Amino acid sequence: MSYRKPLAALAAALLLAFPGGRAAAQERVFVRPEAGTPVVAVQVLVGVGPADEPAAQAGISYLAARAVVEPTRAALDSLGAHVDVDQQRDAIAFTLTAAPDAWAEASRVLLSALFRDPVDSAATVRQRSALVRELQGREASPADALERERARAVYGADHPWARPPVGTSATVGRVRVSQVDAFLRRNFTPERTVVAVVGPVDEAEALEVIRPHMPEGELRIDSVPPTTPATEPVSADYNSITTWVSATWRFGADSDVESLRLLAKLALDRVSFGPSRRSVYNSRAEVVQYAGGGEVRLTVVVPPLEARQWADRLREAVGGYAAEPLPASVFAERLRRYRGLRLLELDLPEARAGAMARAALLGDRGATLADFTRLSAERLQAAARSLEPAIIVFLGPEANEGG
Amino acid sequence: MLTLPLALLLAAAPHDTARAPAPAAAQEGPAITVHQQPAMPVVALRLSILADDPPGYAGAGHLFQHLLLPSLEDQAARVGGHVSVVRGSDAIVYQVVGPATELDYLAGILRSTLRAPTPGGAEMLSALAALAEERSAERETAPQYVRAALRARIFPAEIPAAGTEGAAARLSGAPLDRLWSAIYRPERVQVVAVGDVELAAVRRAFRTLPGTPSAEAPEVVADTVPALEADTPQATRAWIGSAWAASESEPAAVSVTARLLRNTLRRRMTRSQVEVEHWWTHQGQALALVVATPDSLSAAARRTVDGALATLAAAVTDGGVRDAAASVRRDMLFYSRAPERMAELLGEFADRDTGPDAAQRYFAALDAVTADDVRAVLDRLRVGEPAKVFVPPQKIPAAQLR
Repeated sequence: MSYRKPLAALAAALLLAFPGGRAAAQERVFVRPEAGTPVVAVQVLVGVGPADEPAAQAGISYLAARAVVEPTRAALDSLGAHVDVDQQRDAIAFTLTAAPDAWAEASRVLLSALFRDPVDSAATVRQRSALVRELQGREASPADALERERARAVYGADHPWARPPVGTSATVGRVRVSQVDAFLRRNFTPERTVVAVVGPVDEAEALEVIRPHMPEGELRIDSVPPTTPATEPVSADYNSITTWVSATWRFGADSDVESLRLLAKLALDRVSFGPSRRSVYNSRAEVVQYAGGGEVRLTVVVPPLEARQWADRLREAVGGYAAEPLPASVFAERLRRYRGLRLLELDLPEARAGAMARAALLGDRGATLADFTRLSAERLQAAARSLEPAIIVFLGPEANEGG
Repeated sequence: MLTLPLALLLAAAPHDTARAPAPAAAQEGPAITVHQQPAMPVVALRLSILADDPPGYAGAGHLFQHLLLPSLEDQAARVGGHVSVVRGSDAIVYQVVGPATELDYLAGILRSTLRAPTPGGAEMLSALAALAEERSAERETAPQYVRAALRARIFPAEIPAAGTEGAAARLSGAPLDRLWSAIYRPERVQVVAVGDVELAAVRRAFRTLPGTPSAEAPEVVADTVPALEADTPQATRAWIGSAWAASESEPAAVSVTARLLRNTLRRRMTRSQVEVEHWWTHQGQALALVVATPDSLSAAARRTVDGALATLAAAVTDGGVRDAAASVRRDMLFYSRAPERMAELLGEFADRDTGPDAAQRYFAALDAVTADDVRAVLDRLRVGEPAKVFVPPQKIPAAQLR
């Protein structure tokens, strides 16, 4: 039984970006003041990725981002600030975490480097060498191999998103400093960027820090070419003793994403290791959202001879929820667990800044973190029904075994 | 092992942390510290039992944790929560984090740890095996071994959390209710809550705790800890450890001194891995220096470590101390940015029994540390003989090389 008042319970159910109910003054800067949070997290999300890159320069976005950040490291270290760079398919995320007395200066350092400072040739060369070494190591990883195959199957072999978002060792190794400089000036621009600030800050103070680097104006989102997904299962040979089986369901712009997140977690429970599923070595589920839609992804690692059978089980794990709504008591139990899992996914301030920035990039003016208020058994069923047919990818030894 | 954050945070919201002393009657509940973080409807609850293991039964507290953990994890998973357990120098600690709306349920999970478990044979064997593995790990590789050996010399009364071989043999046949009766008292329980909760609600959730157990405590037996010198831990580099007792010094000044020493040595020993740690438990304080270095540099590295305190004493400046203090504070804020981490740090202060507002006082003290304070710490450290440990790198015999 909860001791909380109904109003507080509602707030818990609907995690708004702006707890005080005030909208940010700009359309691309979002501030969530949080008294009691010990640090300030800032996410700068630049809507740049493979779709902006020439195929021969795949990975130039990520290289440019790392080259921009490297010269700031010493200044950020002296402020006790932490910065991470994460290349996503449709954007690149710079996440800054700093103490309340240092975040403003750290943000200025990062934003100046991003939008104002000239590219540092030596830093670019160092980062290119480091990135090539990292990519050479990753290219042998089965997880990376699966993601390459999955992307080709879901988007089509010639689609820019079918290329690895961080490029390959071959393409990155050929990128010249002058190309990085030109790419930066053309693509890393404030109008393609959203900024989310989370922590013990005053909204006006935060805007004062960010505004000089983020002039007002509408967010610019470039369109992505249409995809051509595979209509049959795709098999790729890989020298291993296990087979990776991946199922991807696409969804449209109007889909109920919170219900789909719940669906992904419930489906994962049905295919993860357990007393009746002892042959599952690993499993994972994720929901990815981008402009115009997104994907539910479910992956298991299983013995090669069971691969085909597991493809069917992945389809059933999701499809079962489309058949009929869960009984009310069962749904309530599942929702209780899901709410906790989802809240803990957001318990770090940088996770909240990341979620806010992503929502804002997708056009959610409220930059909602999570919305539990509308979840119901019926909506879960409707969400499962809204998915397109699964795109199946096998990666393993003689991948057709077990067929 | 180290300390707490809070300064800036508390300066911004001085009413955030509230602490209620233990009521006179134990049945009314434990001492409770609540730190409000309303940003997210999440709560981290940390329950600690301030107790040593019964003499002769080292590892008993941690054994109970291993016995209980699977069930606690299952219960927390029902509300999407996480459970963790730690057997620290000061306390047996259980922590759970989950939705704030589940406060009563989460508190119930923690209250269930305050009764002796009644495990089956397989559960007992599994828990004893986990303890044995932890005991081995402490002596197996150089990083853990160096720290364990230094702690054994600086805090000789402290016995490893995973116990000893002799104690394990006794634990396997001891009645658990008698062991528990030697550990648990309601007045030894402390609770820290961090998140979107209020003191009154937390107090209600922990209003009633189990009473003092009635079973007779087990017979007192002496604990014997095997000497670490007999072990040969795995090392590919030379490992050098030095530790100085620092119990007479102000904790904040010791923290800043440790940071300055780390910075100084990292600048001088660019090919070595250098860690300087401030150990602070109810047993006392120490400053510990652990260096890993290529074999070819080990002689020079040992000389640098031997002269480390003198080198730092000659280089202390007001600006350097200010920067080091700010760096310690920022690191603490960064570490405690999730509710469970904040609960862990607040709980460590509570467990050391350093009184209400200890975290806040420590935070303020960090800001006030001066160059003279650091010199005073160094002077006291240099009076005593440090504990020293050296682990040479292992070399493959030529006959085994192809």
